[in-house]
Amino acid sequence: MAGKTPSEKRLHKELISLVKEPPPGMVVDVDQAEQNLNVWTINMQGAEGTLYDGEQFQLQFKFGTSYPFESPEVTFVGQNIPVHPHVYSNGHICLSILTDDWSPALSVQSVCLSIISMLSSCKEKKRPPDNSFYIKTCNKNPKKTKWWYHDDKV
Amino acid sequence: MATTSNESDSSRKNTDNRENDNKDEQNNMFECNICLDYAKDAVVSVCGHLFCWPCLHQWLETRSSRQVCPVCKAVISKDKVIPIYGRGNTKQEDPRNKVPPRPAGQRTEPDANTGFPGFNFGDGGFHLSFGIGAFPFGFLTSFNFSDRHGVPVGGQLPQDDHYLSKLFLWIAVIFIIWLLLA
Repeated sequence: MAGKTPSEKRLHKELISLVKEPPPGMVVDVDQAEQNLNVWTINMQGAEGTLYDGEQFQLQFKFGTSYPFESPEVTFVGQNIPVHPHVYSNGHICLSILTDDWSPALSVQSVCLSIISMLSSCKEKKRPPDNSFYIKTCNKNPKKTKWWYHDDKV
Repeated sequence: MATTSNESDSSRKNTDNRENDNKDEQNNMFECNICLDYAKDAVVSVCGHLFCWPCLHQWLETRSSRQVCPVCKAVISKDKVIPIYGRGNTKQEDPRNKVPPRPAGQRTEPDANTGFPGFNFGDGGFHLSFGIGAFPFGFLTSFNFSDRHGVPVGGQLPQDDHYLSKLFLWIAVIFIIWLLLA
């Protein structure tokens, strides 16, 4: 344990608890996370009884050196990006806890739960209205985007 | 005799184990909400959430414009957290003094020759003064911030002080320009 930074220590603890008590439908790629503690891939299933029932998604978490004081960079990756009013087709997610409302008391687990509940409460599968403009102009890092959080319905 | 001592040894070991189990459970309760480790130099916010002081301090620095509790988003500040002193801790030092080390007090020795009997700077208050020596009778302004001890001050005093200091600064600047032009 010696020689670990506080950030690595916390990530290790989070990884253990995520493996022990994963949020419903979520499986973290442990081998990959153990190789590089700063990039995690989480396979998730659309919750039963929702518009995403039976779909498979991949979430990627990237942690900076100042985690947990800075939020992780969370995006959907892989072939299937959920069609949702807050998810851009390049995988960027418009979710306030990922930027302005981040708190170091949040965790990978709580971010996962927020994303599940965001998907589950969706009433109509559609892309954000500014999708085509956004994906042409945005930075690769979603944290560089100045997000406007105005819709708290879904 | 030997058997009794063995028995007492083993019973002690049992209680030790039980204590360790209890400790593991209790440790979860005393984990810092930020590093998720056993809280070191523990402080508790007024909303009741436990942190290591170094962790909380770093968070307060990260969002210095909007200082909120990481757990419940209540407004917090350095002055609104309570240090926790356990019995085992021999040095009952306020953890808030550790990170960053508390800034040392600043004081300046009075000038030996300042003989303005009319100026009373008050007792122990911080005072600020500036003067222009070139002027025959001296242009000296001084004003006094009373020692407020961190008590929140209502009213407009700090703003007034600020306004006064700006005013005097401008008067000084105008004087210098006037002296240069004359």
